[in-house]
Amino acid sequence: MMIVNYVASVLLVVLGLYTIITKKNIIKIVLGTGIVDYGINLFIVSVGFTPGGTAPIFTINEIVSGSHFVDPVPQALTLTSIVIGACVDAMALSLCIKLYKQYKTTNADEIRRLHG
Amino acid sequence: MNILMGLFHILVFPGLLFVCIIGLLLAGVDRKVLARMQKRVGPPLIQPFYDFLKLMGKETIVPHAANKTVFLAAPVIGFASLVVTMLFIPVFGYSAFSGSGDLIVILYLLTIPAVALIVGGSASGSPYAGIGISREMVTMMSYEFPLIMVLLAIAKKAGGAKLLFSLTDIVAWQQANGSGIFHVALIPAALALLLIIPAEVGTQPFDVAEAETEICEGPLIEYSGAPLAMFKLNTAMKMFVMTSLFTCLFFGGIDTGIVAVNALILVAICIALTILCMTLIHAVTARLKIEHLFKFYWTFVAGLALCSLILVWIGL
Amino acid sequence: MNYVHFPVLAVMLLFLTAFLIVIFGRLSSVLRNALALIGSAGAFAMIVYLIKPVMIDGEIISYWMGNWEPVAGYAIGIGYEIDQLGLFFALLVVSTILLSCIYSFKYMEKDSSLEFYYVLFLMMSGAVLGLVLTGDVFNMFIMIEIMTFSAVGLTAFRNNRWGAVEAAFKYLIIGTIGSSLILFGIAMLYADCHTLNMAQLSSILSGNINPASLMAFAMMLTGLGIKSFIVPFHAPAADAYTAAPSSISMVFSGMVNKAGVYGIIRLVYIIFRAMDIRQLQYLLAAFGAVTMFIGVTMALAQHDFKRLLAFHSISQIGYVITAVSLGTALGLTGGLFHAMNHTLFKGLLFLCAGAVLKETGTTNLDKLGGLSKKMPKTTICFLIGAFSISGIPPFNGFASKWLIYQAAFSKAVETGNFFFVIITVCAVVVSVMTLASFIKVTQAVFFGQLPEKFENVKEAPFLMRLPMWIMAICCVLSGVFYGFVDKYLVGPAAGAALGVSHYIDTMMGSGYAAAAGVTDIKAAPAQFSYWDPIIWLVLFVIVLAAVCFVMVTGKGDRGRISVSGKAAEDGKYATFFSGEKSLPSHVSGSDLFWGFKKDWKKYFAVIEDLHSGVVNDYALWAVAASALIIVVLFGFVR
Repeated sequence: MMIVNYVASVLLVVLGLYTIITKKNIIKIVLGTGIVDYGINLFIVSVGFTPGGTAPIFTINEIVSGSHFVDPVPQALTLTSIVIGACVDAMALSLCIKLYKQYKTTNADEIRRLHG
Repeated sequence: MNILMGLFHILVFPGLLFVCIIGLLLAGVDRKVLARMQKRVGPPLIQPFYDFLKLMGKETIVPHAANKTVFLAAPVIGFASLVVTMLFIPVFGYSAFSGSGDLIVILYLLTIPAVALIVGGSASGSPYAGIGISREMVTMMSYEFPLIMVLLAIAKKAGGAKLLFSLTDIVAWQQANGSGIFHVALIPAALALLLIIPAEVGTQPFDVAEAETEICEGPLIEYSGAPLAMFKLNTAMKMFVMTSLFTCLFFGGIDTGIVAVNALILVAICIALTILCMTLIHAVTARLKIEHLFKFYWTFVAGLALCSLILVWIGL
Repeated sequence: MNYVHFPVLAVMLLFLTAFLIVIFGRLSSVLRNALALIGSAGAFAMIVYLIKPVMIDGEIISYWMGNWEPVAGYAIGIGYEIDQLGLFFALLVVSTILLSCIYSFKYMEKDSSLEFYYVLFLMMSGAVLGLVLTGDVFNMFIMIEIMTFSAVGLTAFRNNRWGAVEAAFKYLIIGTIGSSLILFGIAMLYADCHTLNMAQLSSILSGNINPASLMAFAMMLTGLGIKSFIVPFHAPAADAYTAAPSSISMVFSGMVNKAGVYGIIRLVYIIFRAMDIRQLQYLLAAFGAVTMFIGVTMALAQHDFKRLLAFHSISQIGYVITAVSLGTALGLTGGLFHAMNHTLFKGLLFLCAGAVLKETGTTNLDKLGGLSKKMPKTTICFLIGAFSISGIPPFNGFASKWLIYQAAFSKAVETGNFFFVIITVCAVVVSVMTLASFIKVTQAVFFGQLPEKFENVKEAPFLMRLPMWIMAICCVLSGVFYGFVDKYLVGPAAGAALGVSHYIDTMMGSGYAAAAGVTDIKAAPAQFSYWDPIIWLVLFVIVLAAVCFVMVTGKGDRGRISVSGKAAEDGKYATFFSGEKSLPSHVSGSDLFWGFKKDWKKYFAVIEDLHSGVVNDYALWAVAASALIIVVLFGFVR
């Protein structure tokens, strides 16, 4: 069943990149970066998952040879990555507000004073 | 003794004195032969010496708009780098500092006189100089592209499958395998270098930077007295340095074993090359426009150099 | 004092001072500046202290966070590992931080909310320092993110100025694409190898790269390429360098894009040990050559001082990438040496641009001119920087460029491949064009005619000149004593990148590398022999003699006549000086090379259209290039 997760995560990344490339509204571009992040997060959690595994929380005596649990490292990575993604989105949106104040538009085609 | 020998190399042969005298002599030959080609009598052969001494005695005027330090330092730096360049170019088998001459170092040292001219002209603050330095810089961009290909072609031919940039080794290779000019693959490179020399020195038709009838000597417009004399000397020295570089790269196989005779042969070849690639072209052509000059070097001359490089590469 | 703790302490000190400034920075500006100085100087001192054990004695320091050492051969905890390569870049980072911090005190004094500036500055410094010292790929990703984040904040710091927010937004979007690709790559690596430790990854991946890890490699390479701003990822960098305050532009070109370069070296040479793959060499060399060329031609077309410098920064990174891509010891030495020199001279140039901006209020090349009369010391510094970047001997740019040409051409003759000849020729031509565009700046800003409104311009204050002088002196010294620099800094760093087994053994326990079958590449040390120190003596003797000669014969000052005043009135000199006042130059500073531009009109039209300024286009370039990298790696390597 894991193949669905991988396909979905890659699809999310591709969709996100597609949004960044084609959408002209800067808010939508920011949303695109968010979607890319979600795709990657989904991918990382899926990497750590093993079918039938339990939560990786054990006390000293519980862990015996043959215990079956999911990999805890990717979960830690995902958590970190989610936090970073949220920060990026917040920063990007605040920049969008500033941009709108300066340029009076959210159209990426008109925000090109720096070019050439 | 070592230090004395070093000082002799720097100050007399093949350094300062030798390159100054032969350079001015070449300039004299150039003027005399050009005059004869135009059916004039022309100045005496040692006229450049008189000019140099006269300018040295003249007053040095630093214009108000100029940055004095840079303005006065520029000709000296150009002069010093030309002397150093000459120290690296072996006179056939004889080199002042053995094993240290390197094609890339030569390439970069040769840019310094031009850079000194540009910076000095720029520091003078004159609008004519502004136009002049722009043209000088574009000239430099033009000939640098074919020049590096010429040098790489020679390096590959002499080195085979190993890296060989040392001029001393290239001369040694020529003495073993015959002069560079006798190798078919290097003939286009020799032609390209012959065409590069006038641009490097700045003689007609490639003297767009100085164009005295048009922008009044360009970068030199504000110079007078001793600094001007230095720049005139630099131009004369450049003639000698470039032609002896050509000699070293393409006629390096000649060696009589006696340093004085070798030096005389070098001077003879340099005079011949000066007449061939500077005087003759000067006499029969008119000055180019800067964009034509650029196009000429990046198409025709670069084509020759590239042709040579490819010929060398396929092992001819 | 046990120096094993120094690397972590240096990173922590920078972050700690950043947070202390958040709390106390508002109280007084002196306290704020003191904290910033303590942070940067402390980090500098600690990293410099490590030169002795790491660079000279050849020790590799490993440090496990929380003492969480590998269990049963698997590293789970986060480890810091400081080898010569990491320390080399760390030295670049700390010197940049310290100099930029000193410069900022005066340069930024007119701005408001400066506590945020220093917070972001120290966070970015800590992040880059952590990035080059860490031995864990995920930790590296975190540091990259903090770096990008603070860099975006600093780009937008002067958000009242034209274009700052726009540049920050573009930088953020493209940077996020890069970070996402890096994270994706790291996740795939983890899925494949079940470890995040660089040493262990290196021993696992050595010699057995499967499709999954190849994909991860391609993605991380693209992501790090975006972080190092090679073409075609460079457009937001040019905007950001232009819009950021100059002290930050210096930091960007001095360490932020170096962080990307470091990442690429670490990835290619140590984690994947993929430098022997021929197609990868071609790919990276082609990217490097295109980067140099497009960077320098765009610089020739610019009208703004800082934007021009920004494109040069991109162009010089192209040299580094090309040299690194060759996969030889000579190339790596040249690349690292050039990276170091680039930090020095490009930092110096940005600081000069900052001094001009602070004193005149503009960086537009068409409006400036003749400042050498008013700012002579800045002019000298700028000339040193300009000659260094153009590779005029004896400055440091020449030493490293010389190595790069040697490396590229020896690669060409050894493999018999004409492609590397083209690379060599391209590098030389780009070097000349670099010189050309700096002549343009020199003429347009420092020489030429002084506009009337700049009559009252003053020299930059001492605190701003101090870092400039330090860097200028370093430019000359590292050019003259290249052998010394090679022996103690660049050589060990290149050796560490090529000989990886010591790195793995220090981290994972001795014998681990041998068990995994990792072998070192034995490479002959680079030969620096382009001239002897004695020739230096010669040069100085000649220059001295010639200067004396001119001074005696020309008597320097004699006949120095001012146009204004008495001399102008009596009309005696009018014939000679009338040109100065009545004839302004018809060529504006930024358009100096019109003859050249006319020949290349079509090329310039196309290239300027490509830098459209629309963020979607830049994102498209990034995605297309990453697709290209993936296709090339999968199509030809496997």
